[in-house]
Amino acid sequence: MKQLLIDIAFSLYNSPRYRGIKEFFDSILNDSRNSYKKYLDLMMIFFIISSIIILIYEVQNPIPEWLAYYDIYFISFLFLIEYLLRFWVSNDIHKLIVDEYQKSQFIGKRFRLRGPLKKGIKEKLSYMITPGAIIDILAILPAYRPLRILRFFVLFRVFKLLRYTKSLNQFVDVLANKRFELLTLLFMLFFVVSASGVAIYVLEEKVNPDITTLFDALYWALVTISTVGYGDISPVTVEGRTVSMAVIVSGMVMFSFATSVIVSAFSEKLDKLKERKAFDRIDPRKPLTIICGYGELCKMFMEYNEEELENYIILEKDPQRVKEATENGYNAIREDATSQDALRKYNGSYDNMVVLALVSNDIENIYITLNARSLSRKITIISRTSDKRLLNKYKLAGANHVIVPDDVANVMLMMAISHPTIYKASHAILTGKHMAVIDEIAARAGDHFVGKHLDDIHFKEQKLLLVGIEQNRTREFLFNPQENILIEEGDVLLVMGTHLNLEYFKEIYKVGN
Amino acid sequence: MKKQAFVFGYGKHGRTMARDLKENNFRLVIVESDEHNYAAAVEDGHLNTQLIDVTDDDALQKLSIDRDDKLICIMDDEHLNVFLTLSLRSLYPDITIYSISNSTDTAQKLKMAGASRIIDLYEVSAMKIHNILKKPVATKLLDSFLTNESEISFAEMFVCEDSGLVGERSSGIDFASHGILLVGIVEARNDEFVFATHGLDHSIGTGDILVVMGKNNDLRVFGEQLKCRSVS
Repeated sequence: MKQLLIDIAFSLYNSPRYRGIKEFFDSILNDSRNSYKKYLDLMMIFFIISSIIILIYEVQNPIPEWLAYYDIYFISFLFLIEYLLRFWVSNDIHKLIVDEYQKSQFIGKRFRLRGPLKKGIKEKLSYMITPGAIIDILAILPAYRPLRILRFFVLFRVFKLLRYTKSLNQFVDVLANKRFELLTLLFMLFFVVSASGVAIYVLEEKVNPDITTLFDALYWALVTISTVGYGDISPVTVEGRTVSMAVIVSGMVMFSFATSVIVSAFSEKLDKLKERKAFDRIDPRKPLTIICGYGELCKMFMEYNEEELENYIILEKDPQRVKEATENGYNAIREDATSQDALRKYNGSYDNMVVLALVSNDIENIYITLNARSLSRKITIISRTSDKRLLNKYKLAGANHVIVPDDVANVMLMMAISHPTIYKASHAILTGKHMAVIDEIAARAGDHFVGKHLDDIHFKEQKLLLVGIEQNRTREFLFNPQENILIEEGDVLLVMGTHLNLEYFKEIYKVGN
Repeated sequence: MKKQAFVFGYGKHGRTMARDLKENNFRLVIVESDEHNYAAAVEDGHLNTQLIDVTDDDALQKLSIDRDDKLICIMDDEHLNVFLTLSLRSLYPDITIYSISNSTDTAQKLKMAGASRIIDLYEVSAMKIHNILKKPVATKLLDSFLTNESEISFAEMFVCEDSGLVGERSSGIDFASHGILLVGIVEARNDEFVFATHGLDHSIGTGDILVVMGKNNDLRVFGEQLKCRSVS
């Protein structure tokens, strides 16, 4: 039995297909950035609303049998599947078993199945008692026909609606932040209601015909303190009325206090909610650029990249600057990029991630560089420094490129003075402000020029100038290459020409461009 | 005759600029109004350093600035820098003034004050980051030109009267056999830069500047064939 469980755990652990399927469901159910989740959500919302409409219609009118079947079995069945899927993806028991097994193998201890199994089941159980899971299971219950009372649980399908809008979670989050204040208020409410309820019960039970039980008294206290005041029960003695007045005053104070707590919780959280929006705009499957620091350099960079940069986020500490960036239409959030988690949140694949550390403070920049490098070796990091002497430190911290703005400016100025024509030419071909630009064309598998010799491609006739080729094999740059060179996959051609000619070239030779 | 350059301001940019200009064989005059910086310049071995009040037009006039000289305004104080640019422009209407700015606002003011070429610190840096990301191979190549690390570089070839190229069509010359690439031509007639890839068939005339790219050796050989001193 034990061996069987271990075998199952390992085969699941080693199966990429199982993991893939589980990840797929996890992502489509829980990851708001999954682009298909939207459709699933819309579908579920449709089923929920149709179910609720049927319930309301059913109150007065008989409904056709097929509709009842649709409502009771089909929808409930879907919900059941959804519940089971959520339950399934909530944690990985097999992983716990494998981990524990390997750990015990490693230290030579006898492996006991109990520990990981208990832990896994505990995790599952704690998932089951989350509000979302409880609502889910209550929403399935109406499927059980014989108990009419269960029809009432269709209402939980309304709550399920909230599950598909992010607002419920946000609302709970916001309130959870003020847990202490709200609990204190609740406790006070409980105290005042029970105290005044008991008081009125003792004082008026004999005199007042409306108050016969303690429940009546408590009901009266709550109705009064909430300022609802139905008036079905009212005190008749002087003592009773005195208690009422005290209850009324404390009720006003308490409820206005509660309102202000909730309002302030929301206004405090408003920025965070906005950030969530900026965060959601990122597509994890596309290459991501994280820009740290919204200063002069960042502004310029954004101006240059406006069109090409789709998937990016700006992290800035200063709320004033975040506001400015947002007003300029950039995707910015308030975040200290030097903190450990700031960059970790964006873990998609780090392969195509670019981190730009453009803060004006060198110490922060080095910290950001280290931070990013500690996440993955694959991230491309470009840092800016104002002090040339720190170059080495940046390289040690793991920056791929370091920009010294003062230096770059000096070099450019020097070139403008000593080689004005070249300055103009190189400036123009890199920025593409004039007609001619320099472009890099990477040879990927399937491109039509892969496997051809350079002289087979008539660059000159296409009004293009082949400056050189960086060969994938050697990573070496060949300037003005010989005509018999074979283009291989992974090579990069450096070509100069007008936009139009370059586009045309890519159209002919590139696949899926 | 050596080209002469005036560097106004021996601050954070001034130091590097002065050194680089010296390396590029410029005759250097450093002008400072701050005593501390002035002392630093003298200490760094820049003999021709003058301490004057740059807000004083008479003092500026006494500097004996020639028409072909390059003026580089890179004072640390940006207000002073703009003021100086304005004074120099009013004194010497035809001269080339270079400057470095550290914001779009300053760049605008320098432009209005009359600077001929302004390098915006953040603009060039932003551009560089952009190029590193989008055009890594080209950037590496161009960077290597600047640092003189590679054997490949850009050169400007001045076409003089007696070079064999005068009168030839640009498309007729086989640059490739010389191992070099023609990037573009600055026409003498209108001082306009025309890229080779524009497909224009240009008839080369005296005074044109050919911008070519190639291995240093091939460039030198080609330059000698032009029987002209290579301008670069």
